[in-house]
Amino acid sequence: MMMKAKSLLTGLVGAAFLLGAAFSAHAADTLAAVKAAGTLKVGTETAFAPFDYIDAGEHTGLNVDLFAEIAKELGVKIEWVALPWDGVFPALEAGKFDIVAGPATITKKRMERYRFTPPIAEATIAILKKAGDTTISKPADIAGKTIGVGKATAQLDQLKEFSDTLPTKVDVREYPAFTETYADLAAGRIAGVANSLPNIAFVASQRKGTFEVVLPPFGKKSYFGFIGLKDADHAPLMDAIDAAMLKIKADGRMAELQKKWFGASFDTPDAVKDPAF
Amino acid sequence: MSTKLFELLLQASIYTVTISVVSILIGFAIAIIVSAMLLSRQRLFVLPGKIFISFFRGVPLLVQLLLIYNLLPVIGINVPSIVAAIVGLSLCTAAYQAENLRGGFASVPSGLVESAEMVGLTPMQIFRRIKAPIALRLTFPALVNEAILILKASSLVSVVGIVELTRMAQDLAGSTFLPLEIFASAGLIYLAINWIVALAGGLIERSLPGVPR
Repeated sequence: MMMKAKSLLTGLVGAAFLLGAAFSAHAADTLAAVKAAGTLKVGTETAFAPFDYIDAGEHTGLNVDLFAEIAKELGVKIEWVALPWDGVFPALEAGKFDIVAGPATITKKRMERYRFTPPIAEATIAILKKAGDTTISKPADIAGKTIGVGKATAQLDQLKEFSDTLPTKVDVREYPAFTETYADLAAGRIAGVANSLPNIAFVASQRKGTFEVVLPPFGKKSYFGFIGLKDADHAPLMDAIDAAMLKIKADGRMAELQKKWFGASFDTPDAVKDPAF
Repeated sequence: MSTKLFELLLQASIYTVTISVVSILIGFAIAIIVSAMLLSRQRLFVLPGKIFISFFRGVPLLVQLLLIYNLLPVIGINVPSIVAAIVGLSLCTAAYQAENLRGGFASVPSGLVESAEMVGLTPMQIFRRIKAPIALRLTFPALVNEAILILKASSLVSVVGIVELTRMAQDLAGSTFLPLEIFASAGLIYLAINWIVALAGGLIERSLPGVPR
């Protein structure tokens, strides 16, 4: 009886593997697959202005413009898949899309598991406060205050690291998406939002009189990149996207888009090999 | 709040309604099969039926949706968002509807069935003319209730990438900073849809054959 159950289990596991292998076999070269389908599937969350957000119902932002350029270079169309941020990475690994727009802060931990494209912007963290709030004039003033930040984000890690250096710890409140942190800040439920400088600078410029940026940014200098899978199957696709992005950067289109969405262009390296954290 | 924003909410609610209606119908078809398995005299059929119900009634819908979307690709079945949403909602509602149907069939008075046998009706005729109409009549209010529950539960399908009414409301609230107006409007749209479902359900129920009032 015992023996029978065991061999049945082995059989089932074996069958599952064979099935998996049979289905994944034809996806070996993702670049060829993407070109054959004529569509590059891009996963993202639509709550990370100015990279990806909904403006009166329209998906817009730097990512939309930049991927339109990448699509031109690759000769394909873009299909967007919008998910909550903490669901984006599992879905990438499940093969729901070819690349994540996000973007995500390039960190050591993420580099171990994923492959990043050339950076598209600086990601160093800063604080957004309510306009006219005189109790916060420099980053260290958030000690003991409630600060909102996105769940499962690199900004959360940076905020916690910064909090540990303060005399009183920051009361960190995690949210499913950054748009909710801004809403709570506007409603006065939290004292500030910790996010990357390009993001909060954009939000502050959109809502003058409501929000203000607390300068300078703090923590270590970091960058934003798009994220793909690291395996050999995805290497040709990621190489092609990297090449397209470097071309877009070299001919000045990237700087133009940064100006359009951030109000200023950033000097970013072609690749981040050794992130600060 | 501008009419443009309200229009966007209405457009997103088309997803809410379509996904819910399709799922309720597919769920009902599956529920008929599962309830038949539960009522079967063959133990071989009863057990899988029970396992189906325990699983899809016992695991939160949110977890089911994430499983269907993220775990099925591991065994080579990569379903698009809309399919994952409909499959998740259908299987979940099928489990509840199957229990309702089983209860409905079990409540058909045995005296009625015995009398029908006495006057010489065949088992098929007894099912079509006696059991099915009475069971349907008995379970119909629960079916309408389930439809309303699924319409509301459809707000969860945004985790697999569908921008339905709730998700659109969240996106708009995030970009316009008008959460109160937008969520109130979304609430009113849900209320209106469910009110129509309840009203239609009541009308259909009155026209159903079966046990007279």
